[in-house]
Amino acid sequence: MIDFVQNTLDGLAIGSAYGLLALGFTLIFGVMRRLNMAFGPSILVGIFAGAWLHSHWSAGMIPVFLATLAGAVIASAYVERLSFAAIRGDAALASMASSFALWMQLEEAVARVFPQRTYAFPTFEGLPMLELGPLFLRPEYLVMFLTAAALVAGLQVILTRTLFGLHLRTLSDNREAARVSGVNVAQVALLTFLLAAAIGGVAGFLIAATDGQISTKLGMWATMKGLIAMVIGGLGSMRGALIGGLALGVVEAQAQWYLGASGREITTFALLFVALILLPVGLAGGAETGARAEAGRRL
Amino acid sequence: MDFYFGLAQIIGVHTLLGLSAYVVLLTGQVSMAQAGFYAIGAYTPGAMTAMFGLHILPAIVIAGLVSAGIACIVGFPALRVKGLMLVVATLAFGEMVRLFFFNLTWQVERNGELVGPNGAEGFRAIRYFPQNGWEVWHVTVFIWIVVAVVMAALWWMDRSRAGAVLRAVGHDEIAAQSIGLNLTAVKVGAMTAGGFIAGLGGGIYAHTVTHIEHGVFGVLLATFAIAYPILGGLGTVFGTLIAVLFIQGFLIEGLRFMGDWRSLLFGALIVLAMNLRPTGLLGEHAPRMKHLLGLRGRKTETLESKEAN
Repeated sequence: MIDFVQNTLDGLAIGSAYGLLALGFTLIFGVMRRLNMAFGPSILVGIFAGAWLHSHWSAGMIPVFLATLAGAVIASAYVERLSFAAIRGDAALASMASSFALWMQLEEAVARVFPQRTYAFPTFEGLPMLELGPLFLRPEYLVMFLTAAALVAGLQVILTRTLFGLHLRTLSDNREAARVSGVNVAQVALLTFLLAAAIGGVAGFLIAATDGQISTKLGMWATMKGLIAMVIGGLGSMRGALIGGLALGVVEAQAQWYLGASGREITTFALLFVALILLPVGLAGGAETGARAEAGRRL
Repeated sequence: MDFYFGLAQIIGVHTLLGLSAYVVLLTGQVSMAQAGFYAIGAYTPGAMTAMFGLHILPAIVIAGLVSAGIACIVGFPALRVKGLMLVVATLAFGEMVRLFFFNLTWQVERNGELVGPNGAEGFRAIRYFPQNGWEVWHVTVFIWIVVAVVMAALWWMDRSRAGAVLRAVGHDEIAAQSIGLNLTAVKVGAMTAGGFIAGLGGGIYAHTVTHIEHGVFGVLLATFAIAYPILGGLGTVFGTLIAVLFIQGFLIEGLRFMGDWRSLLFGALIVLAMNLRPTGLLGEHAPRMKHLLGLRGRKTETLESKEAN
């Protein structure tokens, strides 16, 4: 029983990072109505920029964090220009194939600059292990959870209190209506893309700082986790992305404990498959959103 | 010379993989499960020939049938979801298949050595071709005969009522339903046919490389599978063939002299191709080719060109 609670606690912490990845995906999908396969690899570029700064200049956490963010945002801007802005809005498949090609490109570029298998990433050192009765909580996990919570709160403010947020929501509700009422669609789309990249960058930084080492596999890993969490939670809903992320984290932690590493992976995908078929509206449920209708549309 | 035979084999096998995604794409469904069916098709006949000494022909046909059966079973629940959700669902299925083979260990003793899938190490020694004295060019010709048969079958299907039915569902499901087509049957049928072709491809692949392991059948391969018909266009089966030639022949082998920079250029060229022709190299409205060859368009062409305008 203690194990179960402990796993749940760890799972919630990791799940908060998954939730951030899913949020990034949801933002992009909400506004673009297209899937950005290169989301994870953009984050990968950021993480390696941070690791480079750390190893060459032995930079502290804050410069590394900023470099991660900057790398992810710049790589994402590149993806947006080539795979989304340049391709017609209704050619969803073309965008997907093209962002996939950029995925390979970014991953290869990173692998060329960083030829070793793994690199060190700075960790949160010197933080004490937290004990709650019989339970333990790694300090990294607490940082992860709190940062994610703060970020979500900040995002909520941006979305509901600023003009940009209003535009973003209008655009994700109805593209045509947004255009007619004077929203600069191209600009808002680009900014949303960059916002999503920044959120992904934070998630990538937290994950890398928890693990302490990074490899080029992280790009694909981030894309998969974000995608799975977004779909389990329900497409096009911010709340769904977070719930999906947390649920994925908890299920993974439990499966890892009871079934081992390969059992964890199978469980994840089985969960996704079953969730899609039995509960296509996602865990968050709720009203039909424009994005969800769009997701069911013929590609 | 062996290099060119090897390349021809890769192109042949990937054409089968691409065609399996093409059939499903005709109905407007994007399936990322093709790599999974391909994996099933690779492990099954590998087991048949290496473990139980079956002839290659029945082995790959059985592989196709097994893959088709599983595609049919998966198709019923999976095709309840559409569009992007289907992409994710089939992706999940493909990964489940891969992880299943990652964990599968089942070895039997044959001629004094253990053969069979061995978990992460993969399935070694699928040596049907060398054991039976097949030379490289025999294998290459064999592969291309299979490819030609499959392409001819699809070409014929495309020009028959079945092709029109598939395309009708692909263009507009509601309209297709209103003229009395059973959407589930059509989609699951396409999925089953796709599974069969992917199984054939996987079966041949396993025998040409002699050693298969789960890592090959990941998301990357699944994406390649759908990228071929998307890049080639859904106009005819030749679109897929051209895309495979372009990607495997030109982008991967032809640019090998560029070393590691190849992957960077690879990405750029795909992006360029998708920008210039979002509906594929030979799109559904590819009249020029037909005019060049002096062929008359299909019956459905008027409808399609109307939609294009």
